[in-house]
Amino acid sequence: MSWLPCGVYHEHYKQDHAWWQTKFVKAKMFFLALVVLLIFPYMDIVAPDLGPYLLSIAIMLMYTIMAASGVQLLIGYCGQVTLGHAAFVAVGAYTSCLVLMHGPELAAMGNDPNPVVRLLAGIFAGLMKAGLLYPAAIVLAALVAGLWCVLFGLPSAKVKGFYLIMTTIAAQWITVEFFITQFVSQIGGRQQAFTVMPEHFAIGPFVIDSDRKVYYLGAALVLLLTLAMANLLRSKPGRAWIAIRDNDIAAEAMGVNIVAYKLLAFFVAGAMGGVAGVFWLNFNSIISPEHFQWFWSLWWVGVILIGGVGSIHGTIFGSMFMVLVMEGLKAVVVPLGGAFPELLDRFLFIKEALFGLAIALFLIYEPNGIAYRWWQIKNYFNLWPFSY
Amino acid sequence: MRERGGWLQVLVVLGILALAPSAWPAEEIRVGAIMDITGATSDVGKDYAMGIREAIQYVNDQGGVNGKRIKLFLYDYGYRIPEAITTYKRLKNFDRVIATLGWGTGDTEALSPIINKDKMPYVSASYSAHLTDPKKTPYNLFFSADYSSNARAAITAWYDQIWKKDPMYKDRVAKGDKPRFVCFYATAVPYSSAPIKAIKDQAQMLGFEIGDDQDIPLTALDTKSQVLAAAKFKPDLVWHGNTTMSVSTAIRDAYAQNLGAWHIINNWGFDENLPRLAGDAAKNAIGATPCAFFGENVKLMDKVVEYAQKMNPGVPKEQRLIRTTQAWAAVMLLWEAMKRADKAGKLDGEGIMKAGFESLKDFDIGLGAPPVSFSPTDHRPTSIAQIYIYKDGKFQLLERIDLKQRWPEKWAKEWLGW
Repeated sequence: MSWLPCGVYHEHYKQDHAWWQTKFVKAKMFFLALVVLLIFPYMDIVAPDLGPYLLSIAIMLMYTIMAASGVQLLIGYCGQVTLGHAAFVAVGAYTSCLVLMHGPELAAMGNDPNPVVRLLAGIFAGLMKAGLLYPAAIVLAALVAGLWCVLFGLPSAKVKGFYLIMTTIAAQWITVEFFITQFVSQIGGRQQAFTVMPEHFAIGPFVIDSDRKVYYLGAALVLLLTLAMANLLRSKPGRAWIAIRDNDIAAEAMGVNIVAYKLLAFFVAGAMGGVAGVFWLNFNSIISPEHFQWFWSLWWVGVILIGGVGSIHGTIFGSMFMVLVMEGLKAVVVPLGGAFPELLDRFLFIKEALFGLAIALFLIYEPNGIAYRWWQIKNYFNLWPFSY
Repeated sequence: MRERGGWLQVLVVLGILALAPSAWPAEEIRVGAIMDITGATSDVGKDYAMGIREAIQYVNDQGGVNGKRIKLFLYDYGYRIPEAITTYKRLKNFDRVIATLGWGTGDTEALSPIINKDKMPYVSASYSAHLTDPKKTPYNLFFSADYSSNARAAITAWYDQIWKKDPMYKDRVAKGDKPRFVCFYATAVPYSSAPIKAIKDQAQMLGFEIGDDQDIPLTALDTKSQVLAAAKFKPDLVWHGNTTMSVSTAIRDAYAQNLGAWHIINNWGFDENLPRLAGDAAKNAIGATPCAFFGENVKLMDKVVEYAQKMNPGVPKEQRLIRTTQAWAAVMLLWEAMKRADKAGKLDGEGIMKAGFESLKDFDIGLGAPPVSFSPTDHRPTSIAQIYIYKDGKFQLLERIDLKQRWPEKWAKEWLGW
């Protein structure tokens, strides 16, 4: 076994399909996990100024990765262009919020004459007793958001490209502006905002109430979603999605049931959005329709365009670029703010302009995104000193 | 290779810049501000942000907080909640501010669980009544009557001064007719929807007939369909819950289509820009105002005008808004609390709250704002709402209502926190 993946000869398919093909790569990943899971969250011990701030940025980063994963799956792997993903994130957030807010009430309705209510009450009481209400809320949020996404994926059976963009934009207005704002938000009588007290975010005895715990939850969810997506793409549905993306007529001719697979893609993407929504609720304890404005759908599409369409790495790189570079801009602009206060006032203009510029420049000069550049860098080292 | 060297230099510079803030002197007091200069509410947010900067400069020129200068970290968040959250985290953890001046209802409410945990005094430009119950939001503050009180007072003032006194309603009042009332606001926006429950409650109490709400976005440029829908109900009175740009669109469309209703407006929709944008349609518009309009003859206004001209000479005096005065009032409130906390030797989050804000009893901010009081059990700053009318080309006081005096029982027992 060699140090570098170059020059490794496989004898079995199993070896060829392994995620990490050499011990060196395995060690690298182990080291990465160590940094991400053990060293990074405890940064504040060494750097009390910087640690908590970086932690909150890391949480934003993880939220962006989760939300953009769904967009990546739809656009990058299945070729279904979407511009309404904020709606599915919202559905996930609201579903989990309602479960956490009203779950305990439902659990107390064990003596209701209606057998369905009694059954639900029994299930919720059991979940609460086992301390699994929050995990159940995550699962339910993923399911509901997935099914909701399928609903808006139905037009994909008939329309493609530009027309599909329009139907997915409709998801935003129907879901957030109409359904959530006008109806869901009216439950509970506090007008738009729903608050869930941090103690409700409990998995068994562990209450997720500090940034560090939210970070760990986020890391677990990102890992889970990435693994799920990577494995899906290596299996039958993933191959079908890619076939549909590359040429749907050819895929159909090969016997791929394109409607079913498109809808499956919408379901999985919606479910990922739902998980992102739950995570967002956990981070903030509060949600309102203002959290899920249409702009975010556009933002996540920007993330995958910059990171690389059709690449799991791309989602992560794109999220890092958008979150870290944009936040890093502050490190440049803020110290100059003393001398030029205008610069601080106009900071968001700079940021917006940079977002637009970054997308335009990437599309012109690096249409395959950062992921492609990363692949080239890796190849350079793998093949060194002979770059052919 | 040369290119790579260039990047390295940039990175080093970035690193140094990033570490620079920790080298600032210690006697500075750091205060954060999260403002909307470019977003959906920037029509009123720009002037507010300018006002914050000018007021802090004034405070520093007066010797700061008992000799300690204030260093202001002002960021624009474009009315986007995720941006507000990362900005707040930066202010708290990196810039290390000890108090924050905030903006909108959506983000202030979203931040409230975090600021409670951090014990960060947060003086917002959101006067949402949801933020006034110290049991739920102990670190949220503002200087004016809350939106719900303003809305209750505005509808009451119209009922007292117009419905009962105006000759056009004489026959209907004699017949025992009920006045008809609808609400125009962005239903998805927490700022706009915050006082709706309260104003409907008040309308019911006063015996109004209430029609369906009309959803009008904050960025509306056309509201004809909403006005037409409302016209079927034939309202006598419309509540506008948005900001100036959107409100002026709505009252202009209502005027063009002869809706024939009076308009009462929440404070962020009622300023000097309203008649400029709405023209004749703004005649007789009634609004809740937290303090004096820019340039009015009240205590401290000379300084507001002086600093506006000195620091932002590019913006003509005639174009400045009440928003600047509001920003000053928020800063003056925070300044007083910090001075008191500093005197008590507890210049930190909890100290500013307990020894500062919660020690204020009928404190006069000046600037035409009613006196402010906070207690550990009640964070409603004042029970007095000032209702103005735009008449004969100027803003005139229509009625000053003390809700506590008028409905003492409800004020004490019912109305806190919504």
